[in-house]
Amino acid sequence: MVKTDFGPPKYDTMLHPIIKRNYGKWKYHEVIRPGVIKRVAESGDVIYVVRFGTPRLLSIYTIRELCDIADKYSDGYLRWTSRNNVEFFLTDEKKIDALIKEVKKRVGFPCGGTWDAVTGKYGLSNIVHTQGWVHCHTPAIDASGIVKSIMDELYEYFVDHKLPAMCRISLACCANMCGAVHASDIAIVGIHRTPPLPDDDMVRRTCEIPSTVAACPTGALKPDMKAKTIKVDVEKCMYCGNCYTMCPGMPLFDPENDGAAILVGGKISDARRPPELSKVVVPWVPNEPPRWPTLVKYIKQILEAWASNARKHERLIEWIDRIGWERFFEITGLEFTEHLIDDYRITPYFYGELRTSVQFRW
Amino acid sequence: MTEVTYTEEEKKKILEQLSKKTWKIPELAKVIQMDKAKVKKIVQDLIDQGIAAYWSSGSTTYVATKAYVQELEKKRAQG
Amino acid sequence: MSETPLVDELEKGPWPSFVKEIKKTAENMEKRAAQGMDIKLPKTARALLKQLEISYKDKKTHWKHGGIVSVVGYGGGVIGRYSDLGDKIPEIEHFHTMRINMPTGWFYTTKALRGLCDVWEKWGSGLTNMHGSTGDIIFLGTRSEYLQPCFEDLGNLEIPFDLGGSGSAIRTPSACMGPALCEFACYDTLDLCYELTMTFQNELHRPMYPYKFKFKCSGCPNDCVAAKARADFAIIGNWKDEIKVDQEAVKEYAKWMDIENEVVKLCPTKAISWNGRELKIDAKNCVHCMHCINKMPKALKPGDERGATILIGGKAPFVEGAVIGWVMIPFIEIKKPYEEIKEIATRTLEWWDEEGKFRERLAELIWRKGVREYLKVIGKDVDVRIVKAPRNNPFMFFKKEELRPSPYIEELKKRGMF
Repeated sequence: MVKTDFGPPKYDTMLHPIIKRNYGKWKYHEVIRPGVIKRVAESGDVIYVVRFGTPRLLSIYTIRELCDIADKYSDGYLRWTSRNNVEFFLTDEKKIDALIKEVKKRVGFPCGGTWDAVTGKYGLSNIVHTQGWVHCHTPAIDASGIVKSIMDELYEYFVDHKLPAMCRISLACCANMCGAVHASDIAIVGIHRTPPLPDDDMVRRTCEIPSTVAACPTGALKPDMKAKTIKVDVEKCMYCGNCYTMCPGMPLFDPENDGAAILVGGKISDARRPPELSKVVVPWVPNEPPRWPTLVKYIKQILEAWASNARKHERLIEWIDRIGWERFFEITGLEFTEHLIDDYRITPYFYGELRTSVQFRW
Repeated sequence: MTEVTYTEEEKKKILEQLSKKTWKIPELAKVIQMDKAKVKKIVQDLIDQGIAAYWSSGSTTYVATKAYVQELEKKRAQG
Repeated sequence: MSETPLVDELEKGPWPSFVKEIKKTAENMEKRAAQGMDIKLPKTARALLKQLEISYKDKKTHWKHGGIVSVVGYGGGVIGRYSDLGDKIPEIEHFHTMRINMPTGWFYTTKALRGLCDVWEKWGSGLTNMHGSTGDIIFLGTRSEYLQPCFEDLGNLEIPFDLGGSGSAIRTPSACMGPALCEFACYDTLDLCYELTMTFQNELHRPMYPYKFKFKCSGCPNDCVAAKARADFAIIGNWKDEIKVDQEAVKEYAKWMDIENEVVKLCPTKAISWNGRELKIDAKNCVHCMHCINKMPKALKPGDERGATILIGGKAPFVEGAVIGWVMIPFIEIKKPYEEIKEIATRTLEWWDEEGKFRERLAELIWRKGVREYLKVIGKDVDVRIVKAPRNNPFMFFKKEELRPSPYIEELKKRGMF
């Protein structure tokens, strides 16, 4: 009998003894340098959490090397963060330099990705992203290649604390958005720009026509009962690809017209101002493998315009709010085009009066 | 949770439908006018017995007989 | 000359390279297979690189659409993936993903990780994602016939691992590091997340819902797992009473920190004052945004009356637009054995299962049915805290019992309209 439904290993068997002993009894933390967080417990115990950026796509041979390093420095314990960084736990401050050197040498990962709200000096964390051409069947852009190209360009911000506030960059390779891209300071989203080109034979062989038609949010699809296929109303289609998710007979890939949109100003934390969705500021950038120079240039332009103009603790949206969108486009040099005016038939702002923040009074 | 029971006849009825196409559970329950909890139980038992199987596009999941799913996969593999 | 000149470009530069990871995997897998190790797919990583090169040239994906393959009895945890280049690169024809439920909070012992690596070296491509967007460990790329033995080997490890969720199921719940490392945690995120994961094992592995459903647990309003934007059911640590202030520690910060400009002026409700000796927080006006606590972790702490706020309906734009979760329960105590929260989750799931249309997420169902009905389902009273402001239109529904008796009503009754 095969074992099923036993779930993940219990978390408390995975905790470093110092963490386990001080569970729920941490007193404060201090970011002592970029990438290193000192955590102090009420008991007086201290643990140094040392953070490294990873490419997310990891070889098992790299993971084994990380294990070797963790056995040597971190008593056999390690952790990944929600943004694809890996962390080691040190009890001896004197070993931090050696750890950083060894990680760099063996697997090439940089120490950083932290921020210090206390001093108001922030680093850039890793980019969360999706699969892209490495593993996804609906992407309009690659993911790993773009992230690598951007992080190469923004490397200095990861390994140091040079930003005025928190900045979360995320990438989703299509509008399906595996990941919280839609509420990031800077978001890159893969978009298609052409309607699906039905493969009638494929539709007949593999698709359920009614549910595919029903899947269209703008009502652009009609069943063609006679020919047993699907017809597309090109005027109504906004290329979301939802029909392709339902039916492989509705492909909409056009290498010359697929590309990325850039959104800014989203946030999730409630600090200072409530969470907010990101807004489109660049409607389309073409796919330019292998290093996407135009896209990378835009991202850097936005980040650095913000970084050199924002006040301390002022996230992108807070900065924009202070200076105004007109000034944002002026300073960043981006062009405001007609595409940036919302004309999506279904407004996403339904229930606009419901509270989307934990900010309320008791 | 209360134990869901069903008859062989009900099981047969479901099996018959599962050999026709890939189903979403609520849709199947509606078509054969059977309680959804019962449909789920029967389908899960059929799956555990290796007669029925899940089929998924990745984000959404359907059920059908194993034979139907295998045939569908073959067709898709050609495409 | 290299077979993959385009993707080779991504080996350059200071940031760690995923291309190097793929190449490293390919070299090691090939070498170890040649040494006689039991490795089923020594050529898959190399084949992935070749396919990726073609994608980089064609500017499009070469993965075909979905298709399930799973392990016995489960309907999720595996994403079927086939290449449309299978005839050119047969080693990549099948490239299915396995989602492995990570230990809550992504904490690992090296022993647990080594076990995972051993299994994946034998049955898969040797490539992983640490981690996928939802939080699972992702095993990237294996063939249909190896899914079952791989799953069984994972289950037989000394530290066994199970599959996570996919398809129309509860997806693998995730949590921030919470009380394990963070002094801000207002409840035990790891324990609650683990309990929810275990309670809903059946619903995680056997997809029978209208669409996906996500639980995420964050210990405080900073929300490090982005639950508010991503989870249908977001449990965000919060507190009701006043922030605890250590005045001596504030004075320490005051020696070098510009408290007036960096704390007082940035408080969203101007609830803080500082006179150079004492920091005062007007508890009635504080909205628990975390800014001042983030600024002075040695001096300020969330209050003692701790619990969570439940936000419902967070989701990405597909299909009817992105939603940041709506506050449906402003405050709830989170105490073991978590009966109340499990009850609310169960009622939510049952209602959505019953009423939800195909591919309708919880937010879209609530939109269609109304917040009132959802509150009734979970047995919660309305609270002014669930809105930013009252409605701005007068098109309200009134219940029959709210109306006064009148001749008009009698007439409605007579005509069968009431």
